[in-house]
Amino acid sequence: MTVDNADDSSRDERAGTSSGPTLPILNQPSSRRTALKAAGAALGLAAFGKAVSPLWSIPENVSVDEFLQQHYKELTDDEKRRVFERLEAETQRQYGKDVTISDPPPIPGVRFGYAINLSKCNGNGACMEACNQENNHHRGVDQSYIRVLEMTKGSMDMEHGTTSYDHSVPQEDKFYMPVQCQQCENPPCVTACPVEATWREDDGIVVVDYNWCIGCRYCEAACPYHARRFNWEPPEIPADEVNPDQGYLSNRIRPQGTMEKCHFCLHRTREGRLPACLEACPTGARLFGDLNDPDSDINWVLQNKRVFVLKEELGTQPNFFYFFD
Amino acid sequence: MPSMTAQKQTSLASPDAIRSYPRFLWWGLGEATNGGLGFYVWMFVLTAISLVGANAWAHQVAEGMIVTNMTDHVSWGLYIANFTFCVGLAAGGVMMVIPAYLYDDEEMHKVVIIGEAVAIAAIVMSTLSVVVDLGRPDRFWHLIPLIGRVNWPVSMLTWDVIVLNGYLLINLHIVGYLLYMRYLGRKPNPKWYVPFVFLSIIWAISIHTVTAFLYCGLGGRPFWNTALLAPRFLASAFVSGPAFIILVMRILRLTTGYAAPPGPARTLIQIIRVAMTINLVMLASEIFTLFYTGGAHGASAQYLYFGSHGHYGLVPWIWTATAFNLVGTALFFMPAALERGSIRIAACLLCIAGIWIEKGMGLIIPGFIPSTLHEIVEYSPSLVEWKVTAGIWAFGFLLLTVLLKLIATVFTGDYEAGPIRGPSSGQ
Amino acid sequence: MSGAAMQRAHSAPGSTTEPAPARDREVELPARSADSREKFTVSIRRPSGPPRVATGLTDLQGNAVTAACSTCHTTRPPDHENRRATDLDDFHSGMSFSHGTVSCLACHDERNYDALKLADGRRLAFTDVMTLCGQCHGPQMNAYNHGAHGGMTGYWDLSRGPRVKNNCIDCHDPHAPQFPKMQPTFKPRDRFLDHTRTEH
Ligand code: SF4
Ligand code: SF4
Repeated sequence: MTVDNADDSSRDERAGTSSGPTLPILNQPSSRRTALKAAGAALGLAAFGKAVSPLWSIPENVSVDEFLQQHYKELTDDEKRRVFERLEAETQRQYGKDVTISDPPPIPGVRFGYAINLSKCNGNGACMEACNQENNHHRGVDQSYIRVLEMTKGSMDMEHGTTSYDHSVPQEDKFYMPVQCQQCENPPCVTACPVEATWREDDGIVVVDYNWCIGCRYCEAACPYHARRFNWEPPEIPADEVNPDQGYLSNRIRPQGTMEKCHFCLHRTREGRLPACLEACPTGARLFGDLNDPDSDINWVLQNKRVFVLKEELGTQPNFFYFFD
Repeated sequence: MPSMTAQKQTSLASPDAIRSYPRFLWWGLGEATNGGLGFYVWMFVLTAISLVGANAWAHQVAEGMIVTNMTDHVSWGLYIANFTFCVGLAAGGVMMVIPAYLYDDEEMHKVVIIGEAVAIAAIVMSTLSVVVDLGRPDRFWHLIPLIGRVNWPVSMLTWDVIVLNGYLLINLHIVGYLLYMRYLGRKPNPKWYVPFVFLSIIWAISIHTVTAFLYCGLGGRPFWNTALLAPRFLASAFVSGPAFIILVMRILRLTTGYAAPPGPARTLIQIIRVAMTINLVMLASEIFTLFYTGGAHGASAQYLYFGSHGHYGLVPWIWTATAFNLVGTALFFMPAALERGSIRIAACLLCIAGIWIEKGMGLIIPGFIPSTLHEIVEYSPSLVEWKVTAGIWAFGFLLLTVLLKLIATVFTGDYEAGPIRGPSSGQ
Repeated sequence: MSGAAMQRAHSAPGSTTEPAPARDREVELPARSADSREKFTVSIRRPSGPPRVATGLTDLQGNAVTAACSTCHTTRPPDHENRRATDLDDFHSGMSFSHGTVSCLACHDERNYDALKLADGRRLAFTDVMTLCGQCHGPQMNAYNHGAHGGMTGYWDLSRGPRVKNNCIDCHDPHAPQFPKMQPTFKPRDRFLDHTRTEH
């Protein structure tokens, strides 16, 4: 409908010049009013510039390269290498620590599974602390991908659970249930994301491209397990506590305003190592392995213990299991 | 202004007058910013509030979303609440078109264009509400099809972004075209706008349905996960939209003399009566299911209406909304509501405020409380959030004022050097 | 990497109880699966030998003097009736013992107190203590063998690296095997999270 073309508008302009000023605004009966309007507009613009002035500090933190960076899946190996180098340099500048950012691919044929023995877990929270350290979490709020619920015996209703218990554990009438990302086979968070910033990898790990996420937090609303964490502010980590062994899709220091979540320590587990939370667990309640390997420990548990998953009725099909002795 | 008149007539005289559409827009802007002292004070205040909002938002972008009171537990707050309401307003604004065309209600046509203008302002407001909610607005381009990488057709949010923008374009076209034709003194060619009007009716329903699907598609949030959500959204949109239009018509009549006959307003009131009743019935059946069955599904409703585990953050909000809605509805059913007067205005104000709370603080926030792990983290908006939201509303009103001013000017023929004073404009 | 996490796993509670056997040696077990891909093995941490008991004395250098079990026990006749610390009239009386109603000599070998004894009377070195535990705690042993009981560190994928598993007595004091209570030290500190809600 808004058809316009150059020669027409120039003709109009010419017509305008011949009969006086082109701008209708200047043709108003009162030139004072017009001047006031122009002044008002100029003043408004200036005020707007002043109002949004805090934004001018941002270009220091967001480089042009970062702004233009493509989605992880569209980066060539070469581009990835350059991105990693840039991120390493940024970490050095902002956190004063030399780190290596790697990007181990999924191991072909492996599908990760995690199981927790609820008869063993005593709720001491060592896993949370290990997660905090391993994954370069914000120290200010003791961030962690894991939350341990103290549940009342005789009920599986989380309504009767709490994460903020503060007494020696275990209590007689309680059991303890750590919850972290369940690495759903059918993850609602992935469905929700409007820009495909989060997806499920071949080994079952659901990852986030922290440089593609727009921070809409729809995935956080969609996740039924409170597994996702948003970077409300830039994470604070003292240089000597920064874990230098970093993965692009896992524990590298996340930028402000983006979403993150448990990634089964993929920078470790894709190299064959156990996740940090498992190694930290003093009760041995945690068990990790390859679901595709029939002889794996995790498969022994699935076949020999009474196993359940959380909120099975939602159809998320977790790769994270709970069992009792 | 002789020169102006001459100039316009030249351009109108040319057969391809449509080509001066940009000129028309420019002229319109000039017209729309003319007014008396009251008008300028109004515009000044709105601009000031918008600037306060812009400033608060800039701080939020620079310092992080930590300046809001949202948390990992309540990850959406006032912004998304306001977004939901504005989408309803936008949808409701256009649903008025339905009776106009369905029953060929001639008088309604004068209201329809107001509805479309409200829709445009509301859509801009809802888009802004989403933008300010983003943690990384600098990455907004990731949402743009072809340049970015959109998760279509799976993600409901992608759908929402697409339908909202489509809706904005459709309404811009309709309003722009009708105004332009009127300005030219031509009779609008139905071929150029009627299909779009019908499209926009369907689209109006779709924007609000998709917005409801955004929430009710989440299995992990029992409070939202109800099939009634979309119908409820539509019903309440049929209330807030018309109520808003009635208010706008009143203001227009008082300030510009652009008046519609009393008929359309009566039709609107009838619509409101029916829609509000349906809305309340659906709300009641929702509440019945939640409380009578009890259990985890009712946890959020319990928190919302009566508080839970010693937390009562939303209780005052929801009872205020309930009272507003009930009193507003009662007022609408009074015969006096059919007449111009304070009863009608009070009813509109009460229902708008009631629905704003019910769909915002009363729907979005309790979806997160208790959290998916049944933790209770309460939420009340921070000052920054209030400022930004006020800024968005102020900007919306600014836009609406300009649009209405233009509409009033063009339709009342109240512009100097009006190009047409011929029989064609007098229809 | 998680040096701290490693540390934590190794200093699991139970290792502080007395008598404390040295636990430095690790013994390699053959990997469960015969898959040739598995180049590395699962090893179990083991005590280095019989425990030594503190005598409360110090030598000229100021070091604590410890004694082998046999130092005293060769001079005393065994008493099969002793089941509790309170049954003892001399040494070990401060020890807390809470392991069912088994007598001391159900596990300790009265013929050689520097060794353990299986139920069938066979002698067992302290380093092989898990065999002793496994006699009664079959289900736990079974779970342990399948990774479903007991902490571990290292690699889940034995084709890429070894795994080290805790010994029973890394976590369980043999005389009071119940896993001790702990005080959680790390709690989420989310904004606005209500920390008073511990009970309802
Ligand atoms: S637990 Fe939550 S974050 Fe993890 S995959 Fe499932 S939905 Fe996504
Ligand atoms: S917050 Fe990021 S990852 Fe989550 S839905 Fe939005 S864009 Fe996707």
